[in-house]
Amino acid sequence: MTAQTPQTAQQQIDIFLADLRSNLAPITLAEREEILREITAHIYDSIELTGLPAAAVLAKLGSPQQLAAGYRDSALVREASYSISPMRLLRATLRIATKGLSGAIVFFVALVGYIIGASFVIAALVKPFFPQNTGVFVLHSYIYSIGVRSTIPAQPIHEVAGFWFIPISLAVGSAALVFTTLAIRRFLSLSSNWQQKLINQTLS
Amino acid sequence: MALKRSSEPQPDQPDRWEAQLRKGALEMAALASLWHGRLYGLEIIRFLESQSRLVLAEGTIYPILNRLKAEALLTSEWVEADAGHPRKYYSLTDTGRERLRLMATAWVDFSTGLTQLIEPVLQPQELLQ
Repeated sequence: MTAQTPQTAQQQIDIFLADLRSNLAPITLAEREEILREITAHIYDSIELTGLPAAAVLAKLGSPQQLAAGYRDSALVREASYSISPMRLLRATLRIATKGLSGAIVFFVALVGYIIGASFVIAALVKPFFPQNTGVFVLHSYIYSIGVRSTIPAQPIHEVAGFWFIPISLAVGSAALVFTTLAIRRFLSLSSNWQQKLINQTLS
Repeated sequence: MALKRSSEPQPDQPDRWEAQLRKGALEMAALASLWHGRLYGLEIIRFLESQSRLVLAEGTIYPILNRLKAEALLTSEWVEADAGHPRKYYSLTDTGRERLRLMATAWVDFSTGLTQLIEPVLQPQELLQ
């Protein structure tokens, strides 16, 4: 026996491609399939051209994790700038955050924006069930606290918003969520424009 | 000769800085390989291997091609081949061609300047030998 049995080589290739597929998860389905098609063609062409065993050809490609990371880095930011999913936006911002201070600041501002927005929405949803624990609490005409309290506050602290709290809190929370989403998307598209501009400036 | 020039890259000790340098140049090299016409991934790798020592792992070139395409510097098309599977051919767009021209000019300016700058660094070692 000089060469590996086709079965084993085929299995190695299949395992590599399956690994690559699962590591490419954040990339859109269409783009992922195209990448896999191209890498598959590369593997079979390489084996045919060089006569190397499948294992050697796969080793020269690097690990599926490394290869996928190369694709993810640019695709993540590009796709997220059109997305409204908080997870996707935060993940893309976090990726930029590892590369500079401005990214780190945007990531934390985004996180705070989402938390504030979500808190207002949750408070609005809690109000019908715990009306006396939820709302805008006032002490001697100063705002004492806004939101949900674990106990019903004692006098002279009292709640002033009543059931108006629901629409107002929903509106404020939604506005915070929408604003945060738009701000991150703006930052992400600016960030890829900046990269572009930097390249152009260096060249001209 | 006992004295070894330290400026020479040590093939058994891949330097981190050198790796970064190669990675940065790889984008321009990938564009340059398409100057004369369309090629598919493996052909680009072979071309770069024959012309330079740029390719680190073969896998690094594919994400770069993908990004250059997303930036509209390249286009791609699937072409049926005798091999039984289609191959993804890349070619330069007009923007890509223009960008590559600018890159090449900048590269020459940059390396000419740097070569002059590091000339004194290299000289004493040569005198020692």
